[in-house]
Amino acid sequence: MTEVHAHKRKVPFWSSDGPWIWLLPVIILLVIYSVYPFIFNIIISFHRFDPMEKAFRWNFPANWVDLFTNSDFLKAFRITFTLGAIALIVELVLGIAIALAFDRSRVKLRGLWQSLFILPMVVPPVIAGLMFRFLQNADYGIISNILYALGVIERSEPLIGGTGRNVLLAILIADVWQWTPFVALIVLAGLKALPHEPLEAAIVDGANRWQLFWEVKLPLLRGVLAVVILFRIVDLLRLFDYVAIMTSGGPGGNSETISHYAYRMHKSIEWGMVSVVGIVVLVLAIVVTNAYMRVFKVKF
Amino acid sequence: MAVTQLPATGVAKPQTTQAARTARARHRRESIVQTSVAALIALIFFSPIIYWFLVSVKPLPYTMTWPPVILSEPIFDWYEVVVLGMDPNVGAKTGIVFNGAAGDYYVIPSLVNSILIGVLSTIISVGIATPAAYALSRFHFKRRSSLIAWILSTRMMPPVVAMFPLFWLYTQADQRVFSAIFGRGTSVLYDSLLGVLLVHVVINLPLSTLLLKSFFDDIPTDLDEAAMVDGCTRWQAFSKVIWHYALPGMAAAAILAFITSWNEFLLTLTVTRTQFRTVPVFGSTFDVSAAGTEWGALAAVSTTAMVPVFIFVLIVQRNLVRGLTMGAIKG
Repeated sequence: MTEVHAHKRKVPFWSSDGPWIWLLPVIILLVIYSVYPFIFNIIISFHRFDPMEKAFRWNFPANWVDLFTNSDFLKAFRITFTLGAIALIVELVLGIAIALAFDRSRVKLRGLWQSLFILPMVVPPVIAGLMFRFLQNADYGIISNILYALGVIERSEPLIGGTGRNVLLAILIADVWQWTPFVALIVLAGLKALPHEPLEAAIVDGANRWQLFWEVKLPLLRGVLAVVILFRIVDLLRLFDYVAIMTSGGPGGNSETISHYAYRMHKSIEWGMVSVVGIVVLVLAIVVTNAYMRVFKVKF
Repeated sequence: MAVTQLPATGVAKPQTTQAARTARARHRRESIVQTSVAALIALIFFSPIIYWFLVSVKPLPYTMTWPPVILSEPIFDWYEVVVLGMDPNVGAKTGIVFNGAAGDYYVIPSLVNSILIGVLSTIISVGIATPAAYALSRFHFKRRSSLIAWILSTRMMPPVVAMFPLFWLYTQADQRVFSAIFGRGTSVLYDSLLGVLLVHVVINLPLSTLLLKSFFDDIPTDLDEAAMVDGCTRWQAFSKVIWHYALPGMAAAAILAFITSWNEFLLTLTVTRTQFRTVPVFGSTFDVSAAGTEWGALAAVSTTAMVPVFIFVLIVQRNLVRGLTMGAIKG
């Protein structure tokens, strides 16, 4: 083993025999991206920007009190979690089902289908938003018309528009279209990497396909699924692009996520509030990630 | 199935012909069913893109009908506007009623920006993530695991956290520092290539570093040792020998970085105003809630922006899948 034990002799900071010079660029950039914003947000969250004098004024604790009494933010919070939970479940179920379909042994031209299937992932979400805005048009959108025909929604309450009752469904469709392939692709890789012995043993024992999936494959996929879910949770917590393009948070704030709320505050120069939201979502992301990694023992 | 090519000896063919035939028929049936299911899934996910493309070859009135019409004569006037930057009202002879001004839909500048920023930021982020990943893999120093946890936490951080701090840093640094050095009104960070690049590099660093670390972990340390016994310093061992073995990892990280940069929206939107706007920022400038949305132009913009990256993905598909799964399974 050539593991370097730096403590045995003093290695200068700049020597390539010590780790720091290798890590320096990454550390500097990530400090600018994460440590500086964190500290800056804490300070700014106690202030209010005065556009007349172009200066920050001490405003403690008004921003923080405002945040937890502000119905817009609380609504955005609720919407982010509702939408995130539903999207996560739908993408997971669909993704696993699709991965199983692609994993069957007698699929011809598998590469071609897989290539077509993963293309939604590389469509920029903004472009996907424009596309779905058209496909979900209340009058001539194909998705809207299919949903009318199926009786899922009514013409008086279209996907986008009306009182906004179905607007989350509109965002959900875009997110599911774009990110189910991601879930499926990773589950598929997990399925391909499964050890053969347990599967063969189960088949010898006479397990049917249903039992094989629930009692053998799914438990073995636990680790892969845990990571996929974590990645989706992180992305769903920051959901912004579709909302900004398709609905701007409307109608009536019915599709506003936390990120979009923060962006709207940024636009209206409520920078103290932006910082408060920034800290809240950062703490939220850390708590959710840590709790999740602890419960599911995700290792990196 | 080389076994079936038995030389024709006088030995009787294996019996069970009836059973073999039914088995073969069953296999064919299974193959048809399974292939149709896979094809159906692929088509369901790909069909919105085809449908959206078809909008880009229709005159405006035909885009806003239900049921949809498929025209026997596609028109490419939207592409003249979007790709060649032609004056939209020149195309009026084909029935396009255009509200936009010349250049509104000209996607090429932002496409060039997107590709330029994507390529440069990918090279830079993989370039600095690789040595860092090597160090995280090879050196066992105090705080190594907390450093890794911190890098991972920046991957999990929502970009709204950095949105305003970066905006403020950029504008203030330009106004107070760079204006003093380079003269009034200089934009070094805000609305400049450097500023956008910095954002795109930094959002890719965490994943690139952790992904590459897992690749270096799989390269035996004997190789480093051998190189160092031959008189290399550690830097030389890395720069002359070891990094070659991490090339597949670097390719996977580069592809992921490029796609992340290609899709990035919120931070680029925040740190640019008119210059160096990428395709997503360009796409966000259209008001799609208005009644007079020129869907054909938007569809042509989308298609033009999607085609290069689709070709790229089809070329690098193997590496992309590996990068995504490694990124998910190994971190």
